[in-house]
Amino acid sequence: MLDAGRHPNIKILAYSEVESVKGQAGAFTAKVRKKARFVKEDICNACGDCLAKCPRKVPDDFDMGLRDRRAVYLYFSQGIPAVATIDKDHCTYFEKGKCRLCERVCQRGAIDFEQADEILELSVGAIVVATGLDVFDPTPLTQYGYGRIKNVITGLEYERLINATGPTGGHLYRPSDGKLAKKVAYIQCVGSRDLNYCKHCSTVCCMYAIKDAMLAREHDPEANSYIFHTDFRNVGKRFQEYEIKGRELYGINYVRGRVGEVQEDKEGNPVVWYEDTLKREVKSLAVDLVVLAVAAMPAKGSKQLAGILGIELNESGFVRVRDEEPADTSKPGVFACGFCNGPVDISESVSQASAAAIRVAEMILPEVKVAAG
Amino acid sequence: MSEVMVIGGGIAGIQASLDLADMGIKVYLVERKPSIGGVMAQLDKTFPTNDCSI
Repeated sequence: MLDAGRHPNIKILAYSEVESVKGQAGAFTAKVRKKARFVKEDICNACGDCLAKCPRKVPDDFDMGLRDRRAVYLYFSQGIPAVATIDKDHCTYFEKGKCRLCERVCQRGAIDFEQADEILELSVGAIVVATGLDVFDPTPLTQYGYGRIKNVITGLEYERLINATGPTGGHLYRPSDGKLAKKVAYIQCVGSRDLNYCKHCSTVCCMYAIKDAMLAREHDPEANSYIFHTDFRNVGKRFQEYEIKGRELYGINYVRGRVGEVQEDKEGNPVVWYEDTLKREVKSLAVDLVVLAVAAMPAKGSKQLAGILGIELNESGFVRVRDEEPADTSKPGVFACGFCNGPVDISESVSQASAAAIRVAEMILPEVKVAAG
Repeated sequence: MSEVMVIGGGIAGIQASLDLADMGIKVYLVERKPSIGGVMAQLDKTFPTNDCSI
């Protein structure tokens, strides 16, 4: 991230969206809307004085709404570019016409309420799509109680709780009463491998559930974890060993079987009802916290972006790439890499990104020609 | 014309941008959120090595 921010050949246009793309391979013209932050990017040094004074609290989307940020905010503390942003939809000044406290406390004069969106016109030879993923909202799967039972959270919410820079400083305090969660159930395939929602397998959840359970044990030696899985799909280098290490060194209980229902007892503990398919018994288990491995799906707006770019998507909404050249989309000059092509983990995303970069280089740099096959 | 637009500033977009930039190609890295980093920046550790994500 830092390298990208410092590289002389990379111009980061954050808080920006592509509005239109015209032209063809070698000569595209893209219109990009650079949304107004109401903060001068070249002057702000992210000191945080404005954040401390802003009176308006808003759920922090980076922390999955588990804590509040202010209407003027840093997206996250190590974010690049390191610049504050004023959230126009929640700012008191934009709502009521007065406040401007941030402007008064900013010693560098970086706040600019007059700023407007800019439309930039870029002339580029090639385009790389790397729009990644968004996660499935499990509310429609009412049997798991997400949204109704406070101690049922998603994998990404868990990720923020266990993170040292997250809302609880890395302690697994559960949402209902702030009690330290010692017994955690992980429910796999929530919305994925499900004909009603996402047919595809999200591929990363088996491994991240094991990782999450390992972290719980590292943070608290008394932590007990149960992973309710359809079947383990740990296909990758050293993944199988990771699964075994989880069971043998971290004491994780792997339970094969899909969970039927999650109920709540009087103390607010989620009670997981499941069929143990190995013993052919229906059982229940009361735990402190339930973590749902929700489906990862194409990022919001990727359908619209595909329309703008004129590229095809597959039936799951991921970018359709060519079998023989997996970084090429259906349109010459437009390449794609990472999760937007279909579920991949981080290391595969990185490999695909390098593959896309070399395909671009082959096209626009005359001296690069990689031999096929 | 040796300029490229990368759409999405997550781990894939950042890696593609760095590779292109190192080859002397000018890159515009477009990200809709206020900072680059994407989903990976939200993660604590990553499998299978349990290394920190950022």
